[in-house]
Amino acid sequence: MERDNHQEGEAQGVKICDPPCESNPPADTLATSLSLLGNHMFPDPVERNNSTTVNKQELSNPILSDVTEEEKSVDAEPQSNQVTKLEAEEAEISECQNNASSQTLDEGTEDAATDNDRSDSGEFVVAMLAKAKLEEQGIGVKGRSSPLLEAGIQESPAFMSHRDEDVTAESWRQHRKHVFVLSEAGKPIYSRYGSEEALSSTMGVMMALVSFVQSGDNIIRSVYSAEHTVVFLQKGPLVLVCVSNSRQTEQQLRGELLYVYYQIISMLTQASISRIFEHKKNYDLRRLLAGSEKILDGLLNLVDSDPSFLLAAVHCLPLASSLRDSLSQILLKAITPNLVFSILIANNQLLTIVQEKTVIEDARLEPADVHLLLNLIGASSAFQAGEIWTPICLPLFNPDCYFYAYISYLDPPECTVCLLLLSTDKEAFYAVAECKRKIEEAMTAQNSLSLIAKVQSYSVSQVGVSDLRHFMYKPFDVPDNYRQLTQFTSPEMEAPYSSEEEKMRLLDLYRYMHSRIHSTSRPLKLIYHVAERETLLAWVTSKFELYTCFSPLVTKACAITAITKLLRWIKKEEDRLFIRYPQKYSTTPNPSKSSRGGKSDQQDSTENGFLSLL
Amino acid sequence: MPEVSKMKKPDVKVVLLGDMNVGKTSLLHRYTERRFKDTISTVGGAFFLKQWGPYNISIWDTAGREQFHGLGSMYCRGAAAVILTYDVTNWQSLAELEERFLSLTDTANHDCIYALVGNKADLTDPKAQLSPDSDVASEECEESGCPTPPASPASLSGMTLHKQVTPEDAAALYGRILRYKGLEEKSSLPAEKLCFETSAKTGYNVDTLFEALFDLVLPCILRKRNENQESPTVDLEECRGTSNKRTRSACC
Ligand SMILES: Nc1nc2c(ncn2[C@@H]2O[C@H](COP(=O)(O)OP(=O)(O)OP(=O)(O)O)[C@@H](O)[C@H]2O)c(=O)[nH]1
Ligand SMILES: [Mg+2]
Repeated sequence: MERDNHQEGEAQGVKICDPPCESNPPADTLATSLSLLGNHMFPDPVERNNSTTVNKQELSNPILSDVTEEEKSVDAEPQSNQVTKLEAEEAEISECQNNASSQTLDEGTEDAATDNDRSDSGEFVVAMLAKAKLEEQGIGVKGRSSPLLEAGIQESPAFMSHRDEDVTAESWRQHRKHVFVLSEAGKPIYSRYGSEEALSSTMGVMMALVSFVQSGDNIIRSVYSAEHTVVFLQKGPLVLVCVSNSRQTEQQLRGELLYVYYQIISMLTQASISRIFEHKKNYDLRRLLAGSEKILDGLLNLVDSDPSFLLAAVHCLPLASSLRDSLSQILLKAITPNLVFSILIANNQLLTIVQEKTVIEDARLEPADVHLLLNLIGASSAFQAGEIWTPICLPLFNPDCYFYAYISYLDPPECTVCLLLLSTDKEAFYAVAECKRKIEEAMTAQNSLSLIAKVQSYSVSQVGVSDLRHFMYKPFDVPDNYRQLTQFTSPEMEAPYSSEEEKMRLLDLYRYMHSRIHSTSRPLKLIYHVAERETLLAWVTSKFELYTCFSPLVTKACAITAITKLLRWIKKEEDRLFIRYPQKYSTTPNPSKSSRGGKSDQQDSTENGFLSLL
Repeated sequence: MPEVSKMKKPDVKVVLLGDMNVGKTSLLHRYTERRFKDTISTVGGAFFLKQWGPYNISIWDTAGREQFHGLGSMYCRGAAAVILTYDVTNWQSLAELEERFLSLTDTANHDCIYALVGNKADLTDPKAQLSPDSDVASEECEESGCPTPPASPASLSGMTLHKQVTPEDAAALYGRILRYKGLEEKSSLPAEKLCFETSAKTGYNVDTLFEALFDLVLPCILRKRNENQESPTVDLEECRGTSNKRTRSACC
């Protein structure tokens, strides 16, 4: 999701960021607007918010899909001790800096760069969210119009999960990351925790914030507090809000909101959402999304726990290239008109993917679309014996049209190997189901299922570098050579990252490194970061992006040697680690195996590039 | 499973329709897997092949969500039986059948059989709270290790919920469906035979429902098999694909 934003240059000028002093216009007006919303919600807004940071941007940038990190350019007060300490332990590898191509590395002053303007002020956002809620007990559910929904609500315990959480409880406020979706008219559409009804006035406040800022031809982008970051994303008639205490950057959080938006689009299409709201501004979109909450919940859990989303790349299962090729061949032989993609998945990771070449000339599946598909499969697999046929939109491929997805498990009752066939023809179910029989037959003949069953992700110990605990490696596609799915490879997380908490902690460290690498104001190419319990090294070149985690005792020199070894190992294993040559078919199938050379060249230069640095 | 996947050509098609959350998936799951477990709202539709004696019956479990409304008529094309499902504790779910789902069945066979099924009877009727036979009861015990999710607050507390739809309401709707289809009430199957109250949770009446329906579509199965036999032998050799389609549109 992190792409450079062409809008940014212009944005800088108009961007308003409040230093922590009184009488700054945005905070003031914001306060006023909030108090106008109802005094009951904010007993003392003016007094509290004089140090709130609100990022606004001119409306001339209507598309918020991309991300900026302007707040960094306006550095403010010193941070909490914690942050400073973290920074102090960190240093850039200066010796590499000079050699590392054209881009300059920041050093020293770096420390100040990650700050956001954090202060208690933002407390009020939280306070605001909390206060607003108290209100709603009185308000009840008057906004509800759909009988359909009543049915749903009556039975809400069936939804289990977090839907029926008490939104007035402290525990509700403690969640690491809240996500809300509302319509422009302020109608609640989705809340990650707690039911949308119970939160309707909270969402009302959010919408009031958005529209207040909008009325001044601005767009509200984020609000910072000591503990929370509130990020807004408006996409068409939908407003998405994230309230997070995860320390992730605004940029990353906005990227995550974008995934939520895409998942909604994948169910309804952008065109139909626009049409609906053009037709009726205060339409209750839950009518159409009712029942999809679990899909959105699942997505947000994945976003938190699976680095694929952060890296915007797909994780494929390591597989002997001969086996992967034979699976691709099986898929290539089982085709029918209007079939456009055939994807084989095991344990939520790609085994192989083949695609029609004429229907989607020169196009490829974007990682984000694959993530949405995988999430859909994960969420709909509760009833695994059947063959599912469902419309689905791939928002990055085309946000306005549907594909029809055929989803079936090949190994019931275990249900680990899943076949996904995408057709453009709504009526093609029986033809597509027939393709599955062919695939099943061929796989039985070749004993593929038992071969797949033996496949596992790999252990970092196979790399044979003693201090290396974990890594994530994402090679970049070279569009001129070969357009293929962006992928990354990563070993299992093993001790000391076995528990959920520790896994999350490592991911958070990676997220932190990622934010530094991708900072729009001061991008870094190489970061050597000594954390409390481990040492991390992140490195980005024009060929790849690499995040590594070492034991805390490693020295800089050791780490660099280790990375050299790691890159060699990856090079050696890449046929196994990646889907190297995604194959295409057409109604007259005869897939070419060209462009082999191109890809290898790229990998070679990758390694050489690094070695020349040493 | 290998048996089924060899794609015996389905003899007939049965479709489950009804608002979201009425329990279509749970009913089918109870019937095919003999269990009641947590479900998630169906996306699109799910296709099952059920071996029933020597016959292969395809069953479509469709999504009740409005989002998927557009697909309904596709699932219903050539159906031999449609199970219109509602929730006995929710009047609106019955109303939705008439408002939203009935028109989807326009693509079904002209002699399609319509069953009206009021699910979740366990919430309103003590007799539906008992498992239909000891078989199921013992299974419930086995499952106590991983308890089935509470389906409603009422079932948690053991209370019964207010029943919003009576069998008479269902019978009246059945009459209107016949009229909608332009069928004579006298020459059609009576409401008593085609209106059911079930509980996917306890298994109450679930087998009865499916078995009764399968019995009723048997003539359709036999007719179709007959047609296939009568059809010229060249059909088998030459145009497998087309014969496939033709018979589907002709009968099931
Ligand atoms: N008490 C009770 N609850 C039931 C019964 N059948 C289903 N439920 C519950 O009702 C909810 C919905 O069941 P599903 O089977 O998923 O409903 P559905 O009709 O398939 O819904 P969609 O797929 O969205 O159209 C689940 O929480 C079930 O546990 C029943 O017979 N009794
Ligand atoms: Mg269902």
